[in-house]
Amino acid sequence: MNQFKYISSKTIEEVLEILKQEKSEACIVAGCSNVLPYIKDKIISKKLLLDISGIEELNYIKKSEGKLCIGAATTISNLINSKIIREECNILYQAAEEFADPTIRNSATIGGNLADASPAADVAPPLLVLDAVLEVESMDGKREISLKNFFVGPRKTVLHDDEMIVSIKIKDNSINKNGCFIKLGLRQAMAISLATVALILEVEKDKVADVRIAMGSIAPTPLRLIKVEGFLKNKKIDDELIEEAVKRVREEVKPIGDVRASAEYRRYVSGILFKRAFNKLT
Amino acid sequence: MKKIPIEFSINGQKREAFVNPNDLLINILRDDLYLTGTKYGCGIGECGACTVFLNNEPILSCLTLAAAVDGKEITTIEGLAKGNELHPMQIAFLKNAAVQCGFCTPGMILTAVALLKENPSPTEEEIKDYMRGNLCRCTGYVQIVKAIKACAEGGENESI
Repeated sequence: MNQFKYISSKTIEEVLEILKQEKSEACIVAGCSNVLPYIKDKIISKKLLLDISGIEELNYIKKSEGKLCIGAATTISNLINSKIIREECNILYQAAEEFADPTIRNSATIGGNLADASPAADVAPPLLVLDAVLEVESMDGKREISLKNFFVGPRKTVLHDDEMIVSIKIKDNSINKNGCFIKLGLRQAMAISLATVALILEVEKDKVADVRIAMGSIAPTPLRLIKVEGFLKNKKIDDELIEEAVKRVREEVKPIGDVRASAEYRRYVSGILFKRAFNKLT
Repeated sequence: MKKIPIEFSINGQKREAFVNPNDLLINILRDDLYLTGTKYGCGIGECGACTVFLNNEPILSCLTLAAAVDGKEITTIEGLAKGNELHPMQIAFLKNAAVQCGFCTPGMILTAVALLKENPSPTEEEIKDYMRGNLCRCTGYVQIVKAIKACAEGGENESI
């Protein structure tokens, strides 16, 4: 394996100072479950790995001022074991349960999964429909980035070289409780997603009062299906509406073909996954 | 690259070591401490053969930097038995013939022990779900699931 330096940081400040000096030469790691395979395969080459897994102030799940706040270095296992996540944002719990396996969940973190920016990142679609906001920090200060503006391409985000994700914030909203996440892979478990859907829905008098839809592995980034959401709002729910929405889902996704599935299959199955999730919530 | 001093506990014993920043935990365990029960399988987190406990939670030692275990406790398959007395899960695997070639067994047993700590009486589906990341290339899963179930029911002495 390539050589690199390793620093285990104990404070956010120390991480930010090092990032300011090293810029893109440094790579923040926590669980290492993606970064080490990338280094082994020479997909990335970094001078320094900056380990943030020991920073206590990045590892929490708490409610504060009408928001659910999750520290960036919170492991996927901690999401599963959190009563707040289960009760308030069950869709994130559902995705965490589909995530890899228990050994990887003990290492992999929510911030790492987002920063990695894989189109197949399992926590991204649920966080997109939960309208999550990322709090990022650098030596120059803090800023907030809405998750829907965070991803710009496969493994590319708007994060600057000297910035790190500090927390993920989700505003309290009763709609967040009625969510469904479905993952399709080539196997039932331990599979990289071939397509995923996250959907939350509020129904009033047989009409769609509010709906949010996001999908993974069907575009260069995890994607909110804004056009389909707009189409569905305030419409009466019946078979015809769902079939039309399925058609529109297939128009809005932008899949590629790869070793796991063809673009045509992904486009087709996107509609099916949407329909399954929608039917589950109505 | 400058070596990093680390202190950790391995199977209850305190150890100190100087490790390279790019040393993996599995290499330290196997090559330096001669704890060869932990197996190197895929090296990319797909197979579970290198599973060890880090602070009592199962993790993959092929995706963990040795430098990152400073101040932590590691338990490998060698640390599961108490002297000559095997852990109930080890007995259950033996009695239920849940071993074919044996390469996946250390990882299987450690993950299974972690499962029962979280969920003392899992259903068959729950066992399969939790063990999803531990692969057996002999495909002897039926006996493995049976052994875990037997251990959970306190019947590790059940014979095939």
